[in-house]
This record gives sequence, C-alpha cells and structure tokens, in this order.
Amino acid sequence: MKTDKQKTDYDVMVVGAGTAGMETAASLGDMGYKVLLVEKKSSIGGKAILLSKVFPTLDCASCIITPKMAAAAHHPNIDVKVYTEVDEITRNTDGSFAVEMHQKASYVDFDACTGCGQCEEICTVTVPDEYNYDLVTRRVAHIPFPQAVPKTAVIDRRGEAPCTFTCPSNVKASGYISLVRAGRYKEAFNLHLQNAPLVGSLARACYAPCESDCTRCGKEETVHIRGIKRFFSDYYYEEHPEPEYGPVENQLKTKVAIVGSGPAGLSAAFYLARNGHQVTIFEAETQAGGMLRTAIPAYRLPNEIVDRDIKNVTALGVEIKCNTRVKSAASLKKEGFDAVFVATGASDERNMGIEGEDLEGVMGCMKFLRETKIGDAPDIKGKTVVVVGGGNSAMDPARSAIRMGAKKVIIMYRRTRDEMPAHSWEIEGAIDEGVELMELANPKQFVGKDGKLEGVEFLKMKLGEPDDSGRRRPEVIEGSESTLPVDLVVLAIGLKPSTTDFVDEIESEWGLLKSNEKTLQTKKDPSIFAGGDCVTNPTMIVNAIAQGRRAAFYMDLHLKGESLDAPFDTDFLLEKTNKDAVLEEAKDFKPRSPVLQPMMPLDERKKTFDCYESVMTEEEARQEAHRCMNCGECSQCMECVNVCPAFCIDFKMTERPRSLIVGAVVLSTGYEVLDPAAKELLGYGRIPDVIDGLQMDRLLAPTRPYNSVLRPSDGKEPESIAIVLCNGSRDHTVCNPLCCRIGCMYSVKHAQLVMGALPLADVTIYYIDIRAFGKGYDEFYEQSKGMGVEFVKGKASRIRQLENGNMELQYEDMEGEGGLGKREHDLVVLTVGFLPNTEAFGLFKPGELEADEHQYVREIDPISEPGRTNIDGLFAAGAIIGVRDIPDTVLHAGAAATQAATYLKQTRGK
Amino acid sequence: MSTVKTHMRDMLEIAQDEFIMRSRILDILKEEPKTILELAEILDYPSREITVWLFGLRRYGEVEEVGRPDVDGYFKYEFVEKQEEEEESHA
Repeated sequence: MKTDKQKTDYDVMVVGAGTAGMETAASLGDMGYKVLLVEKKSSIGGKAILLSKVFPTLDCASCIITPKMAAAAHHPNIDVKVYTEVDEITRNTDGSFAVEMHQKASYVDFDACTGCGQCEEICTVTVPDEYNYDLVTRRVAHIPFPQAVPKTAVIDRRGEAPCTFTCPSNVKASGYISLVRAGRYKEAFNLHLQNAPLVGSLARACYAPCESDCTRCGKEETVHIRGIKRFFSDYYYEEHPEPEYGPVENQLKTKVAIVGSGPAGLSAAFYLARNGHQVTIFEAETQAGGMLRTAIPAYRLPNEIVDRDIKNVTALGVEIKCNTRVKSAASLKKEGFDAVFVATGASDERNMGIEGEDLEGVMGCMKFLRETKIGDAPDIKGKTVVVVGGGNSAMDPARSAIRMGAKKVIIMYRRTRDEMPAHSWEIEGAIDEGVELMELANPKQFVGKDGKLEGVEFLKMKLGEPDDSGRRRPEVIEGSESTLPVDLVVLAIGLKPSTTDFVDEIESEWGLLKSNEKTLQTKKDPSIFAGGDCVTNPTMIVNAIAQGRRAAFYMDLHLKGESLDAPFDTDFLLEKTNKDAVLEEAKDFKPRSPVLQPMMPLDERKKTFDCYESVMTEEEARQEAHRCMNCGECSQCMECVNVCPAFCIDFKMTERPRSLIVGAVVLSTGYEVLDPAAKELLGYGRIPDVIDGLQMDRLLAPTRPYNSVLRPSDGKEPESIAIVLCNGSRDHTVCNPLCCRIGCMYSVKHAQLVMGALPLADVTIYYIDIRAFGKGYDEFYEQSKGMGVEFVKGKASRIRQLENGNMELQYEDMEGEGGLGKREHDLVVLTVGFLPNTEAFGLFKPGELEADEHQYVREIDPISEPGRTNIDGLFAAGAIIGVRDIPDTVLHAGAAATQAATYLKQTRGK
Repeated sequence: MSTVKTHMRDMLEIAQDEFIMRSRILDILKEEPKTILELAEILDYPSREITVWLFGLRRYGEVEEVGRPDVDGYFKYEFVEKQEEEEESHA
C-alpha cells in the first residue's frame, strides 16, 4: 500500500461498461474528470444493447443504448479499455487506489481491425453464440454483435491443442483437421507447409505423436490424424503433380549451403528459400531424400511420394547436387557460401563387436533397407533371416524380409517384448505378418564357413535390475549357448551420427555435433549451423524437420545481420489445453466412432511392397476430422490471417498486464441471470421450445438470430405463446427471495411485441401479481390487455412436451374455482429471476467490500448518499447494488458519478 | 408437424457438427428450397439441430428465406449463390 500522495493516471476508474458504467463515465467525463472505463468483454454496452426494445415506451434498445456507447467511446475525457479485467484494487492512504489489471490477448490488433467480419466468415470452428443466448452458433473468430463498440473481432483460444503442442514441429494438426472438416483440402495442405514441407512423407511414415496426445483418446480412441493428413496430401498431389508456386519474388544475394538432403536439410532449404536465400543442397547419395528414400520401406513410403515432397523444396529454386560428398563446411564457405547448415543425419551402422560380423550374410539394417529399396537386396526367398534388435529399425527389415519371401523371419532381442523400444503397433504389425519374436536372446558370435554365414550362436538372457533407461537390464545366463542356423543376419542395434567428416571443425561429443540448442548455431564459426539427427541422434522424421525449420529461422536472422536473441515461433505457444476440462465439457456427448483407415488384407500385404494403408475417402476423412474436439477452441487453421485485409491478426499476442493509480473507483459490473434449468419441472434445457426472457428478447430484436419470431425446435412461427412470470425470483427453492423488479414489465413488452410481429398469435401471461409501479407502467399493462393479451393469475408448476411437439403447461389457478389448470402452447417463455454479480468482491481483500444480505454490494446510505459503499472513494452504480430498470439505472449512475466527483474534490482539496 | 425428440443434445455438441452438416444442407437446398422440417426428415436429424445449422448458414449469407411462411407457419429456405471474390486473399 502506498502512503505518499500519489500521482494518478486517471481521476476515476469505472469497472463495467454496461448502461450504468457508460452513464457514470460520461457524467464524470462531462464534469472534466479523466476517466478509465474498463470492460472485460470485447464490446461495451452490457446486456441492454442485446435487448429488442425498452419498456414502457417501446423505444428501440439500440436507439437508446448505441448513443451511450458512442458517447463513452468517443468522449475526449474517457479512455475505454475493452477485453480487460481488473485483478486487484487496493486503497492507498491518500485516498487514491492502486489497480492491477490485464488486457486479455484478443489475437486481433484492435487499432487496425476495421470490423469487416471476413475473419469470422472464413473461420472453421463454431461454438454456441452467447450473445444470442445459445439460440444459434457463432465462430471462434467473431465480432460479438453488429452494434459492438469497438467493432473489432476477437479470437477465442483457451490453450494450445495437445496435437499441435506435442508435435515437434508444431504442425497445426487441429488447424488442418478443421479445414478438412470444412472441405478445404488445399488450404489444409498449405497450412501444413507452414510447419513442415514434406507432407506426403509425414502422412505415411510419421509416428504421429499428435495421436498419442489426442484428447479424444479420453472418450473413444484418437482421431486418426495421420490418416486425415494422408487424405489431403494425396488429394492435393493428385490435383497438383507439380507445385503451384515458383521461387519467391524477392530473391536475396545470400548463398546458403546445406549438407545432407534428409528431412532436416530439405526442411531448412524450404524455409530459407521461402525467405529468398539462394540455397544449394549437397547430397552424397545418388538421389535426394536421405533416410526417407533409403531407409523407409516402400510399403510405408514409396519413393514417388518422396520425389513429390522434394519438388515442394526445389520449386522454390533450391538446387540439389547429388553424388557430392562434402567433407568440410569451411570449404563451402571458401566456395562463396555465406552460411552452412550441416544436416548429415545418423545412418552409420553400429557394430556388435563380436566374432563373425564380417561374414557374408551379416549386414546392417540401413544397408539391407537401402538395397531393398533400390532393388539390389540379397535373394532371401525361402531362407531364414534373423534381425537383431528391438527398435523400430528392427521392424522395417523384418517386415521387408517377409515381403521378400523369406521362409522364416526372427527378431532376436535381448530383453522381452515389453521392453522393446519399437512402437507397439509396429511389433503387432510384424507379428501379424508372420515375424517371430525370440525374446531374451543375444548373439554371441556369427558362425560360418568359407567366409559365408551359416548360423548364429546366441546366449539366453534374463532380466536383472532396471538400468538408467528404466528398463530391466539383460543379463547373460552363463552356459546357455545355442546355435541357430540362418541364411541372413540383419543388425538393427542402433545407428550413429554420420559426422566423421565434420568432427574436427565442429565441436562434437561422442560423434554428435554440438550446436546451440535454441539457434543451432555452432560455436567455432557463427555462420555454420548444425541440426537434425547428427546433433540429436536418430529420432522421428518430424523432429528432423523441426530442426531444419528452426535452423532456417536463425540462419535467416544471421544472414540479415540481426540478433539471434529473437524468439522462435514455438516460444509463442500457449499452454497445452487442459484435456480433463475438455472431456468434462463433453462428458454427455454421444460417442463418435473412429473411421478406420482401410488396410490391405494380410495375405496380400505379405507379398508386396505396395502401401498396405489405403487412403480414406473424402467423406471418411471429413467424418474422421469431425471427431476432433476443438480442444484449443481456435484451431489455428490460419484462414483468418489469410483473408484479413488489414493484416491485424496476430497469434503471437500475449496478455498485457498494467498497474495504475486512480483517484476513485466506481463499480458497475451489473447482475447475473438465474439459469432457468434450476426450475427442472419447467423443462428449460430439455424442451427446445421452452426459452427464457433474454432469448425472447433476441428473437424480437432487429438483429435477431432467425429471420422472424420462430420457435427454436423447428422454425415454425408460433401461434400460442405462454409467458410465465417469476421463475427463480421470489423463490426460496432457488434461494432467491427477491422480486426481480423488471420481469412483469419486460414480459408485457414481449407480449406486445409478439402481437405486433405475429398478429394472429395468442399470447397468455401467467402471473402471481403484476408489479407495474413506475411511471407509465400500469398504462403499459392495461394497454396490453386492450391488445388482447390474456392474463392468467396462476403459478406454473410443470411443463411437458406433447406428442405433437407442443407443450402442456400445468398451473395452479389462483382465480375463479382454483385447482390445477392445463393449457397447450407452442412456445413458452420463462421470465427468469436475477442474481447478484459477486465478482467485484474478489477485487478486494476478503471482507473488505461489504455485501448486503442478498450478496449485492451494500450501499451504506441509499437515501442520502446513493452509490456510496463502505470503502471511502469506492462507489457502486446500477444493478450491482440491486436489479433495476434502465431509467433507474441511469439515474443511479448519475448519483454515483456525483458521489465520486464529490470525493475527488474532498480528497484533492479543491 | 414436429415430432417429439426426447433427448436434446448439448448446444456445444450441436455446434461442433455444423461444419460437417452445412454442406449436406446446402446440397439439398441447391436442388430446391425446403423448410426446416423437410430438411430434418431428409437428413434424419432433429429439427432443433437443423434450425441451429440452417441459421448458421443464413448468418453468413449462404441461405435465405423464400417469401412468407406456409399455412402451418413454416418458411422455406433457399441456397444463395455467392458472388466470386474479386480479389485473391493476400496470403
């Protein structure tokens, strides 16, 4: 707490920009005070701007409220801060207030947004529209309502979708899924290119960590994200055998050399070339693609797909020089390259260091897979093959050997299946295809004759204590040697970095090149960068792609002479969405069965290297995309960014905290509306044509969600409308003993407006008593009777839906003979009670701001000092002290403004 | 005449279906205008849900009502041919 006299940022802060807040701010502004008007929503106007008309004059609510919104927004003495929440208010000893607040991230630059609405129209995620009280939907990129002030869009985000968050390259899976759901396949492909250029390869060969983290796993099974990607990548490549683009227009003179054309090198080349750099890739092999081309079997990734993916890169002007082994990064610089990216991968084979490894018939898995893919593999038809190892790299040669006609294929592994590092589905796939597992066995030596392999002498193993990896350590069972006759042994015991040419000029450890984790820049020469498997050890394709993209970002900065302190786009990721919260929200949703990617029958699969996974049909892909739970709300499909003419959408926007000092504070945060579902027997939330008064106001408003006054269940113009008063007001069953004070009159307003809109409709108001206490109110009530509105004195007890879709309303007849009455209606409107908004109490120390017995803010002397609270300098305006109609709210706001002005005069001595 | 549907799905769940249903609704309306009840019958979805999706389409100008409601109080809605965008997006 500050004790000295504070210099204030504003004379008064008004919290809440509904009718009372706007009026208070305008009054104080007119008096010459500098006012800060804070509103947590993205528009000022409160609930009143959403009304149809106001009683008893039936003036258009927009005509009443919009000028007040404009007056507040454009007043020279008022600063409006929307989408801003006050976090804490502390009174200083000099009578001023210290305020902590934050402006929420809207992801739209309010100053630049023109309110054109194009982002909303193209947005691919729909949610219930709270501004139409859930009668219709809106998009997550949205302008709240047509009269919004400021008229700017905001984008709802509640976190990073787990799929996107988990992907090493942060490919926006949620985004392309929502695009596929919307039938926009080309856009899905282009979105993928933003984070990874090798779309086709990933669609077939990615291990899809996104699927492991999919929220849908908590209900049924994961959304088949890779299957969806396979659909749109195949669709796009079929439509576009060649890329649609060429080199970028703004070509730079900077030259970049990339060593290695695997996923990391290709990815770096793509993003560097997109930025205009002249890129040359050097590849030692005869063709580009690295492990994609040589190590992944064709049944998972055909070379035609690798070729098409590479075209995405070369179309930008990237040159690939094959059969060119680079032995020094420094030599490339001497040749005139301004920067070098070393991405040589990790495809060197590890040896077991046992006897017989040099025998003909013993080979490494990389060699075996490479030769298999280029058609130069040994003939193993009818022979026995042993693959040593338990990782994914063991599964590929084993499953390939099955396809090559081997009589018997055995995976020999020193631990058990449970400890195998290979993915479970890879192991299952191998077993399904006929591969045998030999667990707890390890070669001791390879035996042969005349230099040719004849068998494997192996030892039986047992599991000991867990090692550093957490897996139980394999231990030799002495004297357990056996010999297995085999024709071919494939060693899949791990790979090491292919870095022998660079370890002298780039810092390294255990063969791995060392580069800065964030920038991938090497230490000895800042223009040499290194990334991918040669830095990380072998990982997934998408990891290498992520490294390439990161390298490109920082190389681009380096080449432009800019600081490498700049954050990479992954630094702007939101926290991962709380999956439990999403699942809780969807706990009653119907299950959505997965669309399984069609598979080639097992018998056929074993005989061919053709892809065994088939592509989904368009309908299947959309249906599968439809299973996405929109975890992050906004899917980041980026369509809004693509169409925004003002370039004002910024997904890097963050929350902006602010501290300030104000001379006085006026709270005007309004009221809450009771959820009519609390009155269970009245059917709200169960029967679609039982709506509440706020929804009725929307149906009657000029900016209504439908084209007329229609009932929500089927769009019919209702013929018999019941309006039921006092639901949750004067009602101890929901702990709300207060009369809502405005329900009678706004229901009479509804009745009159309905009769104007639907002249043939019958309108019945069920009431306990009519409270028409204000000026002109009783006349308004009498006028409605004269128009033909029927008033039934009776308390509604139950509403049930009839077979014909209409509702039977049961009520206790309080006039005439009494008893239980029943009437049939085709639309029922519940006039609901209101509740205090208790948010304001949380801004102060517990108990500091006093409440009245109904939990509204306590006005210490409503008669002589309206608006004054128990805290000196803190005032309350409007419905925060008790619900009232608009004229009374305006009047009370004026009183609160006067009180605040008086306080400022007193504390400042003038 | 509307039929009774006992289970009313959560509005968020209905909203999540909108993008998959909109093309189905538009395909029908491209043929000829329909009421919400007619669409509900063809698509075999509750008319309440069709109402939500249809007015999602109307909001963005993809369908509009035809004239006055019929004697039972139902409007027909028709597909609106959108003008081709004159300018490409800047992306």
